[in-house]
Amino acid sequence: MRVLWSVRASARHYANNTFIANVLLHRRYYKPWGATIGLELHVQLAAAQKLFSAASAKWDDPPNTNVDFIDAGLPGSMPRLNPECVSLAARAILCLNGQVQPRSSFDRKHYFYSDQPLGYQITQQRHPIGRGGFIELSQADGIDYTKRVRIHQLQLEQDTAKSVHGVYPGYILTDLNRAGVALVEIVSEPDIETATEAVYFVRKMQTLLRHTGVSSCNMEDGSLRCDVNVSVYRGDEDRLSGTRCELKNLNSLKTIRGAIEAEVSRQIELISAGHRVKQETRGFDAHSGKTVLARSKETAPDYRYMPEPDLPAVHISKDWVEHIRSSLPELPEATLSRMTRQYGLLPEDVTTMLGEPGCITFFELAAKGRDPKRVAAWITSEIFGQLSYRAQRLNDSTLTVQQFTGLLDALASNAVTSGQAKLLLIEFMDGDKRTADELIQARGWEVMSDLGRLQDLATQLLGKHPKEAAEYKAGHKRRLNFFVAKIMAATKGQARPQDVSRVLKECLDEK
Amino acid sequence: MRRSLRALQFNSSWHTSCKTYAGSRQYRSTSAPVTAISALETIAKRNPALNAFASHITLAEIGSSETSDGPLKEWPIAVKANITTTLPSATSCASRALDTYTSPYQASVVDSLEGAGAVVVGKTNMDEFGMGSKNMFSMYGAAINPHTPSSGAKRKDMAESDHRTPGGSSGGSAAAVAAGMCRAALGSDTGGSVRLPAAWCGVVGFKPTFGRISRHGLVAYGSSLDIIGIITRNVADVQSVFSVAAVPDPLDMTCMSSPLRARIKALADSRSWITQVRGRSETESAPLAGIRVGIPEEYWVNELSVPALESWKAGASRLAALGCDVVSVALPHTPSALPAYYTLAWAEASSNLARYDGIRYGRRSTTPPDTRDLQNASQKYANTRSENFGAEVQRRILLGTYVMSSAASEHYFTPSQKIRRLIQEEFDRVFALPNALSMTNPLTPPTSRPPGVDVLLFPTATGAAPRLGDQEDSRVANYVNDVMTVPASLAGIPAISIPVGHTDGMPLGLQLAAQYGDDELLLRVACHL
Repeated sequence: MRVLWSVRASARHYANNTFIANVLLHRRYYKPWGATIGLELHVQLAAAQKLFSAASAKWDDPPNTNVDFIDAGLPGSMPRLNPECVSLAARAILCLNGQVQPRSSFDRKHYFYSDQPLGYQITQQRHPIGRGGFIELSQADGIDYTKRVRIHQLQLEQDTAKSVHGVYPGYILTDLNRAGVALVEIVSEPDIETATEAVYFVRKMQTLLRHTGVSSCNMEDGSLRCDVNVSVYRGDEDRLSGTRCELKNLNSLKTIRGAIEAEVSRQIELISAGHRVKQETRGFDAHSGKTVLARSKETAPDYRYMPEPDLPAVHISKDWVEHIRSSLPELPEATLSRMTRQYGLLPEDVTTMLGEPGCITFFELAAKGRDPKRVAAWITSEIFGQLSYRAQRLNDSTLTVQQFTGLLDALASNAVTSGQAKLLLIEFMDGDKRTADELIQARGWEVMSDLGRLQDLATQLLGKHPKEAAEYKAGHKRRLNFFVAKIMAATKGQARPQDVSRVLKECLDEK
Repeated sequence: MRRSLRALQFNSSWHTSCKTYAGSRQYRSTSAPVTAISALETIAKRNPALNAFASHITLAEIGSSETSDGPLKEWPIAVKANITTTLPSATSCASRALDTYTSPYQASVVDSLEGAGAVVVGKTNMDEFGMGSKNMFSMYGAAINPHTPSSGAKRKDMAESDHRTPGGSSGGSAAAVAAGMCRAALGSDTGGSVRLPAAWCGVVGFKPTFGRISRHGLVAYGSSLDIIGIITRNVADVQSVFSVAAVPDPLDMTCMSSPLRARIKALADSRSWITQVRGRSETESAPLAGIRVGIPEEYWVNELSVPALESWKAGASRLAALGCDVVSVALPHTPSALPAYYTLAWAEASSNLARYDGIRYGRRSTTPPDTRDLQNASQKYANTRSENFGAEVQRRILLGTYVMSSAASEHYFTPSQKIRRLIQEEFDRVFALPNALSMTNPLTPPTSRPPGVDVLLFPTATGAAPRLGDQEDSRVANYVNDVMTVPASLAGIPAISIPVGHTDGMPLGLQLAAQYGDDELLLRVACHL
C-alpha cells in the first residue's frame, strides 16, 4: 500500500484520517495517483572550525565574534580548505553506503544577499565529494515494508551568515558567525513516495549522521535543514513525468510531513481541475496547512556557476578512504542486532541508546563484567533522566565511565543504597571529579550494616508509637511503612530499606 | 592578422640590428635609489608630475621604523594599491569602492619582503582593480610615463594629453621604478599588467609562474590569472626580490607547496644542456651555448610597429651572438587567446567584485534604493555599486556577468576554458621541458636533448607608449595591446619584459617566456639580454 493518492483524495480528505479509507474504497474505480518525492538535506558538520577559515564554527557565540577575513569577504582574503570537514564529509557518504570521489572540486554559486558576504557561495556543483549510496527503511524504522532510497550526491558547501530581523526596526542585522560554517548538502534520488517515507528517511539520516559524529542534526537549531521536491503522476504514467515544485525551509519533521501532504493534494487538485502544475518554489504555512508560492521559475536567480579559482581540486587516495572507513563506528543496524544478541537487551533499549551519541560505547565499557541489563536500565532510566532534566548530551556530561561503574559496583556489593547511588549520579553529573568510593567516604554514606543498632532504634520507635504498633498487630500491615520511613529518616538513608523492614517485622512480631 | 614567416628568417638583417640593442642599454644604467630616504627625496621631487604613488610614507615614519636584516636590507620598494597593507586607506585598488577601506592584515608577499629588510615607501597608482592597460581608469587620475619623446616638447611645456602613458594596470609601479622613486616595485599581472608598463617605462617586469608567489592579500581581479609581479631596473634585482617572495604560503592554497617546488626543481635540473650553461663563467664568449630560443611566428601581427619588429630582431641577434640556437616555432592558437582571455578574466572579475556591496566595509550610497522591485536583493546594492565603480569596471562586470549566464555560458565561458587548455597544451608542445603539472610518471632524466625550445622571445607590446590623449579607433583597439601578453597568462607560465631598443626616445620591451616552473632559467637568460 504505497501508492496512496486517488483522484478523490482532495486536500479536504487528505488532511484527515479518513483519507486512506477513501483511497482504498475508490482505488478500484479510479486510477490512483502517485507522488514522486526527492529530498535535499543541509547538514551542518560537527567541525570545530569553518570550512574555509580557522574561525570557530560556534555560530551561536556572541554575534560577529567568530569571523575570519574570508568570512567577511575582505579584499585579498583567500579560502583554505579545512581537512576536518573533508573527513567528516567522507564519513557521511561512507555511512550512507556511497563512494568518496577520488577527485572533487569547488564551484561558486552567485547571488546577492546580505547574508552572503562574498556575493557567492562556495559549493561543489560539478564534482561533489560523494556520490551514490542509499538508506534502507524497514520495520525497525517504523514502516511495515522495506524501502531503499538512493542517494544522488553529497557535496561540501558554506553556510550563509545569519540575518537578524526586528532588533532595530527597519534594519536587518547580519551575524557573520555562521558565514562559512561547513555544510554538506545531501541530495536523494526521487525514490520517496509518501510523506511518511520522507519523515522516516530524515529520521534515519539523523540517527546515522549523529552516530558517526558527522553532525548533531538538530532541526530545532538548524544544524539539519530540509528542502523537498514534489511532483505527482497518475496511474501508469512515468513516475518522473510530473512538474515538480520545491518546498523550502521545512524545519521540523512535522512540517515536512504537513508540507508534502498539502503539496501533493494541491497538485492533484490542480491537475484534476484541468490546470497544470507550474515549476516553482513554495513554502509551508503551518496555520493554514497549505503550501504558498515563494518564487516562480521566472524570477529564479541565474546562479552563474563558475569553477572556484582559489581552491585546487581535492584528490583523495583509496588508502585514505579505507582509513576513514576503518575509523567509522559500527552502523546502528549492525549495533542493534549485535547488542540484542550479545547482551540480551531489548531492541527498544538499544534503539534508545543508539539515539544518544557516544552512549553505545559508554554502555559497552560499563557492561564489561557486569549485568548488562542492569547497566542498560541505569543508563536508559537514571542517566537519560538526568540528561533530559539538564538538557544535556551524554558527550557533554562530566560523568565518566569509571564513576558510573564505581557506583554500580558499590550498589551491587550493597555498599550504598539505590537512593544513595542516585545521589552519587547527580553529584557526578554536577561535575564532581572524585571516584564513587571517594565520594561515598566523603559523604559518610556507608550502609548501616549494624543490625544491633537498627534493633535498638526499632525498639525505641515502637515504644514511642504504641498506637501505630497496635494497629499493625491488629492487621494493618501497611503501618510497617510508617516505621520504615521513621528509621530511614533517623539513619539519614544509610540503612538498607530491606534490612530496616526485616528488623522492624521481627520486633513487632515479638511483641 | 599574421604575416608570412618568410620575412622573419634569421638572415643577416637581424644581426645588423644590434645597434638598436646597444642603444637600449642606457635605460638600465640609470642608478636606482639605494635607501628609503633617497627614494623619498625623489618621490618629493618627481611624483607631483608623474602621479605614480597613490600614497607614500614620510621621512618621519621611516626614522621611527626599524627594518629587518636580510638580502633586501633598506631596499625602498613600492607596492601596487591592490596588495593589502595596513596603513589607512592604502589598499584602495584606485577605486571609490575601497578609498575609505583600511585592511586589517598585510599581504603575505609584503610580509616576506619586509622580513628581508625591505621598506615599503608607498602604494602605487593603477587602473581601478587592475582593469586597464594605460593606467587611466583610476580615482587618482592618470599616472604619467617618466619618459618623453626626444622629438617633442619638454615635459613642462607639454599639454596634459601629450604626456605618454606608463601603461597599465601597474602603471604607477613601473613609473616609480623608472623615475628612481624606489628600487623595486610589486605589481599584479592578470593579462600583462606588469609586463606592458615595464616595457613602456623602460624597466624590467617579471610575471612568475602562477603559484610561485602567494596571492594572499592580492585583491582579486581574475583569480586564475592574477599573479604578483616584480618591477625593477635590472634582472639581478628581480632575482633578489623573487628569491625572497617566491615561498610556499599555507594562506593561499593555489601557492605551490614545498614538494611541488622540489619536484619542479628536480625536473628542471635534469636537463644536462642547461646545467652546462650554469657551470659556465659569464665572461665566456658564448655563455648561453646550448640554449634553444623559439621565435613564435604568430606574434608578428599586423599591428606590430616597425620599431618593435626591429627590437625583436635585435634581441634575437643578441641571443644568437651569445650562443643560443634561435629557431622559429608555431603557436597556432595564439589568435584565439585574446577573446578567451577577456571572457575568462571578466567572468572572474564579475564574481570577485560581487563582494563590494558597501555593507561590511567601503563606501555605501546614501541614495535610497528603487523601491519598485525590492524582492530582488541586488536592487539594494545597485546604487552603491553604480556610484563606486568606474565605467571600465562596470563594463567588465556586466560583460563578465553575461558570459557566465546560463543562456550564454556555453557559447562564451565554456569554449574559452577549452581554448585556454589548448593554449596550455600548445606551449607544452614547444618547450623541451615537460610541464610538471601534467607529468604523471616519475621523473626519468632525458638521455639526449629532446626537441623543443627552452625559452620563447617575442615583443611585449606592438609599439611604444601612446599619448594619454590618443583615442583608439574603437574600444577593442585598447584591448589589442594585450595580444602579446595574454597567452602566457592563460598558460600560467613565467614571462619577463626586458627593455630592448627605443623609438623617438620611448622605450620598447621584449618578452621572454619559459615553461611552467622554469622561472630560474628564464631569469638567467634574461640577464644576458
